[in-house]
Amino acid sequence: MRRRRSIFDIMREYMEEFERAAEEALSAFEQPSWDLETQSLQPLFNISVTAEEVVITADLPYADPKTLKIESVDEDLIEITAKMRVKLRFEDLGVSHREGEFSSFHCRVPLPVPVDASRAKASFKRGILEVRLPRRRGYKIKVE
Amino acid sequence: MSETVRIVERREVPTDAKMIHGLPDVGLVGVIAVSQIISQLKMVEVAYVDSDLLPPVIVLHEGLPHSPIRIFSNDNLLALISEIAIPAGSLQPLMRAIVNWMDEKGVETAISLGGIATPNRQNIESPKVYGVGSNEFSLKILREKGISVMERGFLVGPQALILQYCAEKNITAISLLAQAFYNYPDPEAAAAVIDTLNQIVKVPVNVSDLLEKGEEVRLRMRDIMRRTQSELVRMRKSQEYDIPHYYVA
Repeated sequence: MRRRRSIFDIMREYMEEFERAAEEALSAFEQPSWDLETQSLQPLFNISVTAEEVVITADLPYADPKTLKIESVDEDLIEITAKMRVKLRFEDLGVSHREGEFSSFHCRVPLPVPVDASRAKASFKRGILEVRLPRRRGYKIKVE
Repeated sequence: MSETVRIVERREVPTDAKMIHGLPDVGLVGVIAVSQIISQLKMVEVAYVDSDLLPPVIVLHEGLPHSPIRIFSNDNLLALISEIAIPAGSLQPLMRAIVNWMDEKGVETAISLGGIATPNRQNIESPKVYGVGSNEFSLKILREKGISVMERGFLVGPQALILQYCAEKNITAISLLAQAFYNYPDPEAAAAVIDTLNQIVKVPVNVSDLLEKGEEVRLRMRDIMRRTQSELVRMRKSQEYDIPHYYVA
């Protein structure tokens, strides 16, 4: 007879699954944070989800605010791009064994939950971009 | 000293010195601040950390290999800095070995520079700096200098361990923690922490230079921040946001 799974089994499985997902996410860091073909740097970004909204921030030093673009690529993926006010070569960053220069930021940010993009707001302060996307509302259930 | 961690001395190390620490943590505040201090005071390397617990990494400077965790000196000031994110699982033995070494060298006061993650950091013009101490004497120093003491809460990471191990050995240790971005390099917070450090130890360092080069610092620190971010998750850094449950003093 098959044993019923205890709450501890379920929790352990959940934790294992979570750790696998975390490892997968971390493996993405094993790529360079720059792309010579597009002359772009991947900015540091962060996603946080509250009950009301998804908040995405990105650190964009040297970004020209007038060139900032936030576009949806897919329902659950947005793209952030910005041109830099300066062109930076590897040499400027103290790296003499690589060649190439960078003039923009580019990243694609996955949205963890559905959002209402029509009500999104963005601001740029202290070199940090902040995008606030209200979460999509579903139905309401009346409490009797 | 722990067998898995060796601190190798390359030059004579001053005794009874004050020692500052800049280890990767939120906003890389300590790393940015201590790096600025080492460079402006033209401090020289006196020792380095060698350990199988660290990833197989060397750092090249002027074509020569160096350990990523090194100790610099200038007169009576020592400065420890890490140029890589330290694996969360190695923090305990590494920090214990560093504190044991400080004890051997008779370090008079240890001051760790770091950040405290502040969710609305973008809206803060001048980051506030809080202090934590390892014993009554360090708390007295903080209060005399008018530095706000973090009375309750959780600390996670290298500073927490240094304080704990120093408390065990009754070494006077202080952590200065500036309000900072959690996962973005924060030169403004580093400047604030240097200003506060100056109230305890005089370090003739020009922070305006750090503020002017803020964007460059943020760009240079991007990769170490990215890797530190992963270690912050592993060490459960978010526990610092938790509200303490205890009532006992």
